[in-house]
Amino acid sequence: MEQQFTTFMYHEHVLWIAAFTLGGLAFALGPIAIVYLLMPLRTRQVAQKAKQFIECGMDPIGDSWIRYGVVFYLYALIFLAFDVDVLFLFPVATAYNDAVFASSIRDFIEIVLFVGILSLAIVYAWIKGVFKWERKTYLRR
Amino acid sequence: MGTKNIPSSVVQFALADKLIDISRANSLWPLTFGIACCAIEMMATGCARFDMSRFGAEVFRPSARQSDVMIVAGTITKKMMPGIKTLYDQMPEPKWVMALGNCAISGGPFAFDGQYSIVLGADEFLPVDVYVPGCPPRPEALLQGIIELEHLVSDWKRWKNPEAA
Repeated sequence: MEQQFTTFMYHEHVLWIAAFTLGGLAFALGPIAIVYLLMPLRTRQVAQKAKQFIECGMDPIGDSWIRYGVVFYLYALIFLAFDVDVLFLFPVATAYNDAVFASSIRDFIEIVLFVGILSLAIVYAWIKGVFKWERKTYLRR
Repeated sequence: MGTKNIPSSVVQFALADKLIDISRANSLWPLTFGIACCAIEMMATGCARFDMSRFGAEVFRPSARQSDVMIVAGTITKKMMPGIKTLYDQMPEPKWVMALGNCAISGGPFAFDGQYSIVLGADEFLPVDVYVPGCPPRPEALLQGIIELEHLVSDWKRWKNPEAA
């Protein structure tokens, strides 16, 4: 019987992934819950400053919300484009030689379309000059 | 004053707490915090010759949030007092305070009429558990203070009392 890739395949894989997700959640949230039960719920204070962020004893001067170069932000955005590329091409690479996808030019065209659209973002950023590491200053005139 | 009414947790296990107290007594983590010349003696105590790590108390933490013993090592000026208060607040429970040297106990040589800049003793604003006299105290005195603090933290004794036996 020929397999249709619209039918629900890989049942046991879904189970495994669900089990691992639940296990991961338990390992992430479990310690927080256990610590909450075992920790002292308050700390004795003489100046009510236990929540102060700075740990040198002195009161902080100024705010931590300062303005800095937007270059890092743009760079991180562009990283996302490459990241999505890689993220979605890995499953394609593992499944491409599968019997379901054999002898079909349609899948290849779909991949080309997908990568092409993602590349448009990179081309756009390239034209805008994101890859040149320059400090962008906009002076108020 | 001393340590009383240590805030407790939701779930408590008597036996486990006893064991945890012994562990705490054997690994006190002092705050890296020296405010005057007694801190030099504190450093000497931490170093190889006097070797505080024999008693498990050598892990001086640079952050108040990781330490459980505050060694008030030296003269407390009125300008420094708010900082010390903040550091004490930021330490997690259970926490203990040791006053090292005469200045931290009572103001030491600064306790005279007309003196305007020194706080006369750490116990003016902190619950001090152990007082170590000296000007400055010898490292052996600080070690003795650490051992006294261990006895305060748990019933477990590092050595038997030879006079009691």
